[in-house]
Amino acid sequence: MANPVNERARLLSNDPVGPRLYLMRLETPIIAKTTRPGQFVHLQIPAADAHILRRPFCVYARDAEAGTIDVLYQVVGEGTRLLAKATPAVVDATGGMSVLGPLGNSWAAVDEAQSGSGLHVLLVGGGVGAAPLYLLAEDLIDAGCAVDVVLGAQTEDALVTRERFAALLGREPACATDDGSYGRPGFCTTLSQEALDAGCSVDGAPFDRVCVCGPDPLMKIVAAQAHEAHVPCEVSTERRMACGIGACLSCVVETTDGLKRSCADGPIFDAEKVVW
Amino acid sequence: MAENTDSRAHIRETSVSLAVNLGGLPMKNPVTDASGTFAAGREFSAFVDVAELGAVTTKGVSLNGWQGNAAPRIAETPSGMLNSIGLQNPGVAHLMADELPWLKSQGATAIVNVSGHSFDEYVQVIEALEDADAVGAYEVNISCPNVDEGGMTIGTDPASVQKVVGACRRATKRPLIVKLTPNVTDVAEIARAAVSAGADALSLINTVLGMAVDAERRRPQLARVVGGLSGPCVKPIALRQVWEVHNAVDVPLLGMGGISSGIDAIEFMLCGATAVAVGTANFVCPTATVDVANGIIDYCERQGVSDVAELIGGLQC
Ligand SMILES: Cc1cc2nc3c(=O)[nH]c(=O)nc-3n(C[C@H](O)[C@H](O)[C@H](O)COP(=O)(O)OP(=O)(O)OC[C@H]3O[C@@H](n4cnc5c(N)ncnc54)[C@H](O)[C@@H]3O)c2cc1C
Ligand SMILES: Cc1cc2nc3c(=O)[nH]c(=O)nc-3n(C[C@H](O)[C@H](O)[C@H](O)COP(=O)(O)O)c2cc1C
Ligand code: FES
Repeated sequence: MANPVNERARLLSNDPVGPRLYLMRLETPIIAKTTRPGQFVHLQIPAADAHILRRPFCVYARDAEAGTIDVLYQVVGEGTRLLAKATPAVVDATGGMSVLGPLGNSWAAVDEAQSGSGLHVLLVGGGVGAAPLYLLAEDLIDAGCAVDVVLGAQTEDALVTRERFAALLGREPACATDDGSYGRPGFCTTLSQEALDAGCSVDGAPFDRVCVCGPDPLMKIVAAQAHEAHVPCEVSTERRMACGIGACLSCVVETTDGLKRSCADGPIFDAEKVVW
Repeated sequence: MAENTDSRAHIRETSVSLAVNLGGLPMKNPVTDASGTFAAGREFSAFVDVAELGAVTTKGVSLNGWQGNAAPRIAETPSGMLNSIGLQNPGVAHLMADELPWLKSQGATAIVNVSGHSFDEYVQVIEALEDADAVGAYEVNISCPNVDEGGMTIGTDPASVQKVVGACRRATKRPLIVKLTPNVTDVAEIARAAVSAGADALSLINTVLGMAVDAERRRPQLARVVGGLSGPCVKPIALRQVWEVHNAVDVPLLGMGGISSGIDAIEFMLCGATAVAVGTANFVCPTATVDVANGIIDYCERQGVSDVAELIGGLQC
């Protein structure tokens, strides 16, 4: 894993893309080159000195050549509300946004895919949790894996990653919405169970891996489904973070190997080891 | 990667004399980190060279390790944060096997922050550490407001302070720094008790007991309900207490509480601090320790101060 850096990033764009959802593009040449799927950046909210803590966000997409990363985020509190107001002009005027990264570990599925051949991987993303799975899907497909994607969101207009996944996969991801406005009505855990039962949509082979990112209750259910199906499962944990680099012990996750730091030992953990 | 190593921040060259002596601990400059915000420095080594700091203060260590508190352990507050980490640590043997050798290999000076649930535990931790050659000084945390049986009662009662400091004093000849809690009515009284029992230096402030509430959910923000407040919002409290203690005792002081710039550090030195510790600011910016040191140099050069020690207690009232 590359050493983290603190880059002064230009904000290139920051636009609403759905209900309380924003897509931000940052110019971070080093982080764009070194980020692995699942890793995150820790950003300072621009022009908001009283908010002393950084906010952690997964990298949604990266363009090593252009030196940019994309972050998809949801406005949930004061920090993200201020972030949504940030404009390229304001960020330029303050000398750039301080972006720490890349931080955290990566999915073991990527290493496994790169050393083995033709894994069948099921990705399950709930809400903005779908964002960090996009880089993972890219790397898995590059490594010759067959990838199925299940997405869940509250409404159709919150399914903002669907088109990018469709373009990458060459087919529609399986979708569920809470209100039934798109795809299967209800939670996406019905779709993940069906996928595990049916096997990979490409060739019907059983899945070798499940990777999940979303709210804890979703990850817990999918982890149990994978366990039942005897498929190894990885989850991406989300904890309140201060330092983001493993020093302060704010972000602990309880595991069967003891307390682990989500920011440095994770955020990705083997689902079997997480004490839910 | 080469480009990353080069991106580390460094303390710049200067003709200003930066060396200070903290109760027998020689420091090449007055800047260390505040215990618990920097681990033992390794996590920050992609950003700063820990050997350049006046010292590295390690996270609080107990005899056999503690689990710490339930999560959420932190909450952001205006210009500050609350924490209830609960002194999670793997125990003194781990510190000696892993962190201290690393600090030594880096050429860093270590101040080891010591905690305990009982008077005996403090002494046992120090006794274990007496075998390690990489310890420059001890900082005895009698003030952690987080742990049920921990510092709180000791650090708020002059008789208990005298007892624990006296026991630690008998266990070591190394420089002994006693870290005070701000959560008392008269910090000068506690300071005098620590010095009379043999403290070589005092450090202050530890975190200020506080609380944050989520009104929508009608719940406390921290699992433990209350926690320790730190960051820029506590600086006025810290400056006032450093000034009071400076006027009450003759030992050197390690000042901390909301320091994030060189000017902040100078303010503490003017109030009587010989050295300063940078805590929560490390979370804001991982080069904060080095930035503070460079800010001290900037101030001295601008003001024509040739020796930083001239500033200690230099407040003109
Ligand atoms: C590794 C990681 C990756 C993440 N990736 C994304 C992403 O790609 N897109 C996205 O929309 N969100 C992501 N999150 C969640 C995001 O960090 C929080 O929504 C955000 O910090 C909330 O800040 P706020 O000031 O708006 O909320 P407030 O509730 O006002 O924040 C107060 C404090 O709580 C912390 N906090 C609040 N909610 C969360 C949360 N869910 N997780 C962690 N800390 C929280 C904040 O960082 C802040 O310190 C991620 C979190 C982690 C830990
Ligand atoms: C996350 C966190 C952990 C801390 N852990 C310790 C500790 O282990 N021992 C100790 O003596 N003080 C501990 N402290 C207190 C700091 O060392 C310092 O006294 C306090 O935070 C004030 O300084 P600051 O405002 O610069 O952070 C901790 C503070 C924070 C924020
Ligand atoms: S946020 Fe500091 S250890 Fe994880």
